[in-house]
Amino acid sequence: MSSPLARSPIPPGPATERDGWEVDARVPGGPLTLSDETPLAKVHVRAPFDGASRAALGVGFRRTRRADLGAGEVLVVGSGPGEWLVLGAPGTAGALRAAVEQRLAGTGEFTSVLDLTHGRALVRLHGAAAPAVLAGVCAIDLADAVTPDGSAFRTSVAGVVTDVVRDDLGGTQRSGAAASDNGGVRSYLLHCERSSGRYLADALLDAGRLSGLAMTGFRGLA
Amino acid sequence: MSILPTTRRTATPTSQRLGHRAGEVIDRSRTVSFTWNGRPLSGHPGDTIASALAAAGERVLSRSYKYHRPRGLLTADYLDPGAFFQVGDEPNVRGAHRLLEAGMAVSSQNTWPSLRFDLKAANGLAGRFLATGFYYKTFIKPEPLWPLYEKVLRTFVHAGAITPDPGAAYYDKRHAHPDVVVAGGGPAGMAAAVAAARAGASVMLVEEDHQLGGHLRWGDGAALARLRALRAQVAAQPGIEVLTDAVVTGRFDDNWIPIVARSLPGITERLVKARAAVLVVAPGLIERPYVFAGNDLPGVMLSTAARRLVNLYAVRPGSRAVVMSANPEGDAAVADLEAAGVEVAAVLDARRQQGVARAHGRGGLRAVETTDGRRIEADLLVTATGWTAPTSLLNQSGDRPVYDQAAARFVPDPDRMPANVLAAGGIVGDGTVDQLVEQADAVGREAARRATGGSAAGTVPGLRPAPHPELFAAGTGGFVDLCEDVSAKDITTAVAEGYDSVELAKRYTTVTMGPTQGKLETVNAVALVAHATGRSIAETGTTTWRPVYAPVTLGALAGRPREPVRYSPMQPWHERHGATPLVAGQWIRPEHYGDPAAEVTAVRTAVGIIDVTPIGKLDLRGPDVAELLNLLYVNKWSKLGVGRVRYGVMCADDGVVLDDGVTGRLGEDHYLMSTTSSGAATVWEWVENWLQTAHPEWQVHVTPVTTAYASINIAGPRSRDLLSRLTDPEDVDLSADAFGYMNVRTGTVAGVADCVLWRIGFTGELSYEIHVPASYGLHAWERLVAEGADLGVRPFGVEAQRILRLEKGHAIVAQDTDGLTQGFSAALDGLIKLDKDDFVGLPELRWQQGRDSHPRLVGLQPLDGTVVPPEASQILRTDGSIAGRVTSSRMSPTLGRAIGLAQIDPELAEVGTRVTVRLPDGRDVAAEVTGLVHVDPEGERQRV
Amino acid sequence: MMLLPCPWCGPRNATEFRFGGEAGRRPDPASASPEEWRRYLYFHTNPAGWSTETWYHGAGCRRFLTVERHTVTHEVRAARDTATGTTGEGIS
Repeated sequence: MSSPLARSPIPPGPATERDGWEVDARVPGGPLTLSDETPLAKVHVRAPFDGASRAALGVGFRRTRRADLGAGEVLVVGSGPGEWLVLGAPGTAGALRAAVEQRLAGTGEFTSVLDLTHGRALVRLHGAAAPAVLAGVCAIDLADAVTPDGSAFRTSVAGVVTDVVRDDLGGTQRSGAAASDNGGVRSYLLHCERSSGRYLADALLDAGRLSGLAMTGFRGLA
Repeated sequence: MSILPTTRRTATPTSQRLGHRAGEVIDRSRTVSFTWNGRPLSGHPGDTIASALAAAGERVLSRSYKYHRPRGLLTADYLDPGAFFQVGDEPNVRGAHRLLEAGMAVSSQNTWPSLRFDLKAANGLAGRFLATGFYYKTFIKPEPLWPLYEKVLRTFVHAGAITPDPGAAYYDKRHAHPDVVVAGGGPAGMAAAVAAARAGASVMLVEEDHQLGGHLRWGDGAALARLRALRAQVAAQPGIEVLTDAVVTGRFDDNWIPIVARSLPGITERLVKARAAVLVVAPGLIERPYVFAGNDLPGVMLSTAARRLVNLYAVRPGSRAVVMSANPEGDAAVADLEAAGVEVAAVLDARRQQGVARAHGRGGLRAVETTDGRRIEADLLVTATGWTAPTSLLNQSGDRPVYDQAAARFVPDPDRMPANVLAAGGIVGDGTVDQLVEQADAVGREAARRATGGSAAGTVPGLRPAPHPELFAAGTGGFVDLCEDVSAKDITTAVAEGYDSVELAKRYTTVTMGPTQGKLETVNAVALVAHATGRSIAETGTTTWRPVYAPVTLGALAGRPREPVRYSPMQPWHERHGATPLVAGQWIRPEHYGDPAAEVTAVRTAVGIIDVTPIGKLDLRGPDVAELLNLLYVNKWSKLGVGRVRYGVMCADDGVVLDDGVTGRLGEDHYLMSTTSSGAATVWEWVENWLQTAHPEWQVHVTPVTTAYASINIAGPRSRDLLSRLTDPEDVDLSADAFGYMNVRTGTVAGVADCVLWRIGFTGELSYEIHVPASYGLHAWERLVAEGADLGVRPFGVEAQRILRLEKGHAIVAQDTDGLTQGFSAALDGLIKLDKDDFVGLPELRWQQGRDSHPRLVGLQPLDGTVVPPEASQILRTDGSIAGRVTSSRMSPTLGRAIGLAQIDPELAEVGTRVTVRLPDGRDVAAEVTGLVHVDPEGERQRV
Repeated sequence: MMLLPCPWCGPRNATEFRFGGEAGRRPDPASASPEEWRRYLYFHTNPAGWSTETWYHGAGCRRFLTVERHTVTHEVRAARDTATGTTGEGIS
């Protein structure tokens, strides 16, 4: 039996294989794009919101941080009170989960670490006009003063409860909980329950129709 | 009585276009062609439809709502009640606002056989039959005639024709979060916006018209210079987003402000849902019509209308005019008319008790009769008799405007406005442009301070309303509401009939309920009610100005219509294999693949597979999960071993059944709970509710994993054979001894690691449910189909599943129970453990059992097995009273007869009782109460 | 549309929340009389004024909140996490 291929809920354009996943083969690019980032490893952490686990993960609710927790570069997202989502490269979910568990083991706190790679859909909305597109389906103020680069929030996007992470790309400052615009290109990771992924991608494409939003290939965390 | 043509004019209208005007908004270098009731005409870019028609000499533009009287321009702007047109497929276009476009096919609405000769105008002559409250009095009884009444009413309705085809229309929505929204882009609005933006606020400046400027646009040279300067300031100031041809449609809690914007590239309309820190209301003033006999004749218009036509569109509004003026703006209209070459036959100065008594003419103004008895030939009568402050947005903010008798208008009460709403400019009071701008500048700065500073509210300078004579009606009749054809006499009659409050008179006569929503007519209606009741206007008060401020299209409200939908990973396969889709909540599921009965038979005789991904799944971890389960389920959970599965039912604290499902223990502190598909979200919230509000001390983490797994049920006597082909016996031993009924374990299936395998089932057959990490769900499904070909594997859908479970008598929550069904009415007698210390619903269930008078859930079989009583058929006692209902029913392919479940009163619930079932068509059939389980009551088939 | 000041997420549209009604205490199921139990289930004071309510922020932090709201003006004077008591200070 050959090793099965993992598939995203969002149908790809031209498909290729990468790290056990079927991914969109197009080279990512374009002024305003949507890319399917579902293949990224997604490890979900539950722990007290303000204790040693938070210190171990280095970030709290509503903020994000790039870090290496022992399984390559990851994006740690403070996705809820006492809730974190750690995003890593495709195919690293098992190692990432073990690394996070190990890191939290010494805290003595009641924690849970789950691999939700297959339970969530993840897309990236990228480009200078990304806030205008997102404002068509999301009621949250996307201004720098309210949701700067590195901020995370959960809200309704096109009627689906979605975790939104502002993760600008190409800026001067790439890590830490910076509170202001880093000069990069606006970029949002949007993350929802897997079964709603196809709908969410369609709704974003529709909202971006007049802005020229187009699907592009898998980008990854970089 | 004979039907007369409404006009005898037959000459071709001649062009009324003037030479260049300093403030004109038309582009004379280009010409735009359009048709008017099929006749080719032309105008210029910048023209509205109505200004192009007026320039072409057209004076009768529409027929009125009730009496089909000819109407022309009254306000020559957005509000004009005389210029609603059908444009192509689009009805009710505001023709004095909508810009002319090449190729527009414009027609007057609902005129037959033609605009100039309208048969329905006979109603005008028959006006005495259309009495006050006509609709209420005439079309009430007898009720069987309602279909006829509807036809009659529709014939009279003046509402254009819609198309079911939306065509290329694109309606957009977006959210916005400006610090300050300024409603109104006149001099005050512009000044407030600039001041707020200079102080660091982000500003959205919203103007109803196509350009900023308000009344400065049709003013004199000094006004135009001021206009250019203010526009330049707005353009140069960063932080202002200008929306023209846009309307603030309301103000809701916490400054939630919907704005409908048009004239955007590629977008028919956009609804902007703005959440503003501060709203500045700066709509200026609306000129108020004067009520007198003949005031609706084409040729009677407001001074602002005449000045717009002359100065913005270079259109001569008439040839010989009478002007009734009570204010400087009316005097300016005299000057504008004279400059446009209109002969001003008389100026009636209302400040010196001169005025109009009546207007005469048919199909158009012919002569004006003055209060001192003169009769003056004229085709144009211009009135400047006062102003109305459009306070809607302030009313919606909690303000209650007060009547200022000296100024003859309602003015805002600044003491009642919330801190996040301010008013600027003419709505507050009068002044020179300098004074308006000065006040608005202060308001803008204060708005920015409140929006961004957060410190205590400062004071805002006011503006005093200028003295103005009270002029509402001449007392000679005429129309108060030109949209709804409500006359002055209608108001008087309504008061005489007892509708003596303005709110009652409004509803009875429909005054202010047309497309202008009272902006032109409210104050006149109030004045007439006051006069008729002998009260003052202040005592009479005004009607409530509710949202929406201006009519909104359904398209703008709908936006990009989208409803969330959810798909399982196997949906592409279902679509390729002819599944009939079933919408179940947000889920799209296969109802069947063509033959549900054959799908049932496949499960009973061979093996079937069904996609049950929507089944809710909650991952529960922590040392206190067993405590949680004991609290939420009616049965006991403390002794469930690792690897074991138990069925459970949840009730609410009123004892009503909430949900059911199986929960398995995967590890010492790790459980996986399943819920019904429709209950997945409810149960998750339910679990969180009890954990967060009742037992925050318990250590339990709940994670929804419903679609982390693709769930497949494999059911039928050959299900073990099939699953064994996809598993390695070294990893997963499927033998009955190693993996018995109601057990759960993890393992690799079809090469996919970390699957959860359950030996459970609702079909009564040997069956397994596998939860496959969702990204591999389609792979696993395709492998099951391929590997099971020689075993006769068949996919089955929701319909077969319903039949299979009904054959086994498994109740479905919310199908065989409803919002009043307590636990003992759901055949849960053996499951409910009243000896537990506590569980949700315990006291009510204890009392329910004690009363012992509750309906029972039973099996039911019609004696004639070919009759399937539809679900919800009633069960009757011999005296005809209702004793229950059929909750589920199907033809059983396995038994070859109709079977069902029923909720039935206890005295008829005994097995073997004969009952009567009334079908929806009125026939009665006999049926017998049976046990719940119709097929294999001993449950032998699944324990193999 | 009113805003609710979520102690975790900040002010959010009320549509993100589910209203859970007046906050009440569940009587002891072992000793409660039917009258006490049904008072808990069905009887609410429904004041025109200050009311202590439960709201669930389902489209946000997914926390149950105890909110003191004025039912006439919609003013909210206090909102805290029911389980942790968090009022929003120093979260992130």
